[in-house]
Parts: sequence; structure tokens; C-alpha cells
Amino acid sequence: MTALASIRELTVTYRRDGREVAALEKIRLDIMAGERLAIIGESGSGKSTLALAIAGLLPGSATVGGGVDWFLPSFDAKAPPSVLPDISPSRGEIGSSTGVSSPAAMVIGEIRDDGAISPLEGEMSGRTEGGLIERRAQKSASGRSRTPLLGRDIGFVFQDPSASLDPVMTIGKQIAEVARTHLGLTWPQAYTKAKTLLERVRLPDPDSALRAFPHQLSGGQKQRVAIAAAIAAGPKLLIADEATSALDTIVQAEIVALIRRLVAEDGMTLLFISHDIALAAELADRIAVFRHGKLVELGTTARIIGAPSQAYTRVLLDAHIGLDAAPLLNRSRLDA
Amino acid sequence: MSLLAVSNLTKRYRRGGKTVTAVDDVSFHIEPGETLALAGPSGSGKSTIARLALRLIEPDAGGIEFEGDDFLALSGSPLRARRARLQMVFQDPLAAFNPRATVARVLDDPLRIHGIASRSERPRRIAALLERVGLSAGLAPRAIHEISGGQRQRVAIARAIATKPSLIVLDEALSALDVSVRGQILDLLLDLQRQERIAYLFISHDLGVVRTIAHRVVLLDGGRIAESGDARAIIDAPQSAVGKALVAATPRLNRSIGP
Repeated sequence: MTALASIRELTVTYRRDGREVAALEKIRLDIMAGERLAIIGESGSGKSTLALAIAGLLPGSATVGGGVDWFLPSFDAKAPPSVLPDISPSRGEIGSSTGVSSPAAMVIGEIRDDGAISPLEGEMSGRTEGGLIERRAQKSASGRSRTPLLGRDIGFVFQDPSASLDPVMTIGKQIAEVARTHLGLTWPQAYTKAKTLLERVRLPDPDSALRAFPHQLSGGQKQRVAIAAAIAAGPKLLIADEATSALDTIVQAEIVALIRRLVAEDGMTLLFISHDIALAAELADRIAVFRHGKLVELGTTARIIGAPSQAYTRVLLDAHIGLDAAPLLNRSRLDA
Repeated sequence: MSLLAVSNLTKRYRRGGKTVTAVDDVSFHIEPGETLALAGPSGSGKSTIARLALRLIEPDAGGIEFEGDDFLALSGSPLRARRARLQMVFQDPLAAFNPRATVARVLDDPLRIHGIASRSERPRRIAALLERVGLSAGLAPRAIHEISGGQRQRVAIARAIATKPSLIVLDEALSALDVSVRGQILDLLLDLQRQERIAYLFISHDLGVVRTIAHRVVLLDGGRIAESGDARAIIDAPQSAVGKALVAATPRLNRSIGP
């Protein structure tokens, strides 16, 4: 397996009450092409900051050290979305040829100079998150590797689909505009693509769904639409940040099954961010455990669940209350 | 005599010209010191039932008997007095509290409103409540928004027990907590139940948690009771379609690493 992205010494700090608070500290992690990698942690672990940093969605107030090396094909390569290119130079090659500021390294916090004209470019379904600064995609000097474009190379699914979908735009248009923006399709072509995507995410009655507005759908259906928009341009990497946490158990299981199927069908790499280690274990090939901004432990799912090497991982596993957990209550209370 | 007896409860909403029956002919009872869980998917009616039981909303049909009285017939000061015995803790304590209030203020309110302690006595009572839920009395002057989520949920529990209730409605009260904190809050709730014989109406979609702390469970589907009974018996062998679906959908740690 080759790496899709190599996170090297990534440090992210936020200013809070005049103090620098480290959200991530010197993270080193390779995301392998085609794998399903889960990032697990509690509040304040830095798991969401990692997702935002990888997607280039960190707020401008964040200070970033280190970075992410990407091993993506150039745009001219015209590789089908399901085929991963064999253009993976080792990290050493990039590092030695370009020094600290590799052209392929992500540029975070760069302010667009043409942002006012083209609000759609470079982000999922045209939505702007308040205070976020977009990162411009750049081709590397060598042409062998480039920085990813959110929406085109990375699909991002957030926890709350109501917040990530535009309430006054039809479902069809929200998906079609991603395809139109990133794939250069005409509107009719993009709508045809949107309908296919709604079928792929198994939304009932895709024809009328195209003309529906988000408020007409249930939470689970909205998340299906958000997933359809996220994969519309055939991204290499799908990031799901607590994408099922606001859903009930049954709908959560359906969305996890949907993500699993889409990732397999399109040969995508999955980054699954969750607080739920059992849910992650059902989906991921590898699990990375985060705590207080540090990577505590990384391994295959079977190894992390079956033989964790760190005490904190054991704490998380023990805290899980499954269907086989011992009852805690005093069963004799009715005799009292 | 049951502590709480709900009979043939029905609640309908009008939505876009259509009538939706959120709660449809639901009956159950809770005994003193017992935990009854209401579980079901979104829209199954569990939170509506909680709000009906608290009389935050009024039913279209059915009866609620609490501590031997017709709870729906109470009004004015008898209702306020009885409400002290029926408390609630919600999922997000930050949404439930005035965020600018201090911890002391949040706990002072019920003691004052229900005339439980005099002004001079209240600081001591507040300190005792904080210690009862495992917090330092030194937390009293802190603002609600400054403390952690786990601390806030402990403060919410302290406020709930301030009026010496016989029943606390816990509406997804553990769902937003980190797993390491969740276990501590569970232990606190069970300890309170043992010591004070408080009954809980525990609303959750997490069958793992329901199975470990509830005596009995009512599984809801589309506003109706799908099945009910001993929590472990039902969850270990559900008979209803919704029970089977909920159990199948619950994440398991060991499924991934095979047999």
C-alpha cells in the first residue's frame, strides 16, 4: 500500500484568552491509499482539528506547524476516480528536493485574492463556513504532486447535515453544482449526475428529491444528500467527521453501511472521525487513538481492540457499554 | 401503588395540515426506586412522553397519576409543590441553564423557589449538594459556561436532587458526555438511587446503556409501545421489529475482529 497523504510533525495551535493552546502536537501519520482509517478520541483530543487541517478548513486564527504531503495525480493525468495513480514518491524524495516548504505541502491559511468572484470553487457544495479561509489548490513545480482541492479531491461530511446544506437551494442544485464546478459539466449534465448520485445514496424517489429542499427530508436523508454532494466530484479521500453522531442508532447503522459501500465502489480512502470506538471498529481497517492533541496509539483494528498497547486505549475500551456489558444496577431494589 | 402511572396517553400534533400522532395510547408505570427506560428511534415519541409526564405539554387523551394524585388535575400552588418531587435532567445542560449564571445561582433557585432553605442556610446547602454529586464546593462561584461538560451534568443532577424528588426524568442525559465521564455519571446516578430511592425515567436510544442500568424497558415505535418488560430479557431477545432493528444496529466492539 502507498500513502495518499503523509502528515508530518503537524502542530496546530489556537489563541484563546491570550494564550496559545495546542490542539494538535507533532502528529506523524500516513493515510494509506484505499484504507479506512478511524480517528478516535474524546472532546479536546484534536480529532476534528486534524480533519479540518487535512481538508484545509482550519480557521485563519489557527497557527500551523509541519504539514501534509500529498501524493495526488496532476489534474491533466485524467485518471479515473477509482484508479489510484502510481506517482508516489517517498517522503524522503520530496523532502530532499524541496526542503521545508515542499510545493506539495499544504498551504494553510492562505487568503484567496479572487474569493469574492467565485464562491463555489474549492469547497463542498458551495457552502462557506464562517471565518474559514480557503486554501488554493496549487500544482507543484514538478507536476508530479499537488495540493488537494476540497470538493474535488476531498469530500467532507460534517456532523450536522442541516448546517452543511443550504436551506433555500434544492437538493438537486446543491449536488449538481459540485459536479459542475469540479468536473466541468453543463447544468443538464450535472443534474443527470446528481440524480445518479441520489440513486447511489439510496434516497427514495430521486426525481422528486432533486426538486426538494433540505427541510423536507429527515436527518438521515439529509446526511445521504450531504454524502452525495461530498462524493459528486469523485474525490480520492472522504472525510466523515462525526457524520453519524446526531443520528439515532438505526439510521447511524444505515449511514455507516452506505459509507462502507460507496468507499468500496469508488476506491476512496476514508478518514472516519468518531468518539465511538465500537462504531469505528466496525468500519475501519486501522484505528488511530488521539488524546489531548497527541496520537496515543495507531494500529490495525484487530490489534487496537484485541491488544491495545496504551493504557488510555484500554480505558476507552473498558468505558464502552456494549450489549454484553455487566449490569450495574441493584436488581434487588423491588424487594426493599 | 405505583409512583407514576401513565394510562392511554395520546398526543397529536398538527403539521402542515396533517395530524401526526406522536404518542398513541401509551400506558406504563414506574415503582419507587425503579429505573424504567424508554427507548426507540428518532420520532418514536420518547421525548414527547417525557414532556407529557413533566406536564411541560398537555396530552390530548389519557391520564397521569403521580404519587397517588391525578397529576393532570393539579394546578396553581399544589402543582408547583408536586413538581418539586418530579425533576428532570436533559442532554445538554448548557442549553438548560442560563449560561451567564454561576453554579451557586443555578442551585440557589430551586432551594429558594420551593422554600427548602432560608437565605442564610442556602450557601451551606449548596456546598452540600455539590459534594453530594462529587464536585468541590469551591466550584460554586464559577460561571456555568466555564466548567466542563461532565461538571455541568453533575450540577444539573445537583439541581434536580435539591428538591428531594421521588422521580427524575433523564432525557438523553448521558448522550453528549465523553465515555470516560459517562461511566462516572452513571455511577453517581446509581448511588443516588440506592441512597435516596429515587426512580428514573431514563430516555435513551443507546440499548447498551439501557441494558446496564434499567430494570425495565419500554420500546417505542411510531408513538406506540412495541414491547416492554425486563430490560435484559427484552434486549437479549427482542421480539418486535423495532427491537430487533435497534439491537442489530448497536455497534459491537468484537464484531469487527471476527469469531
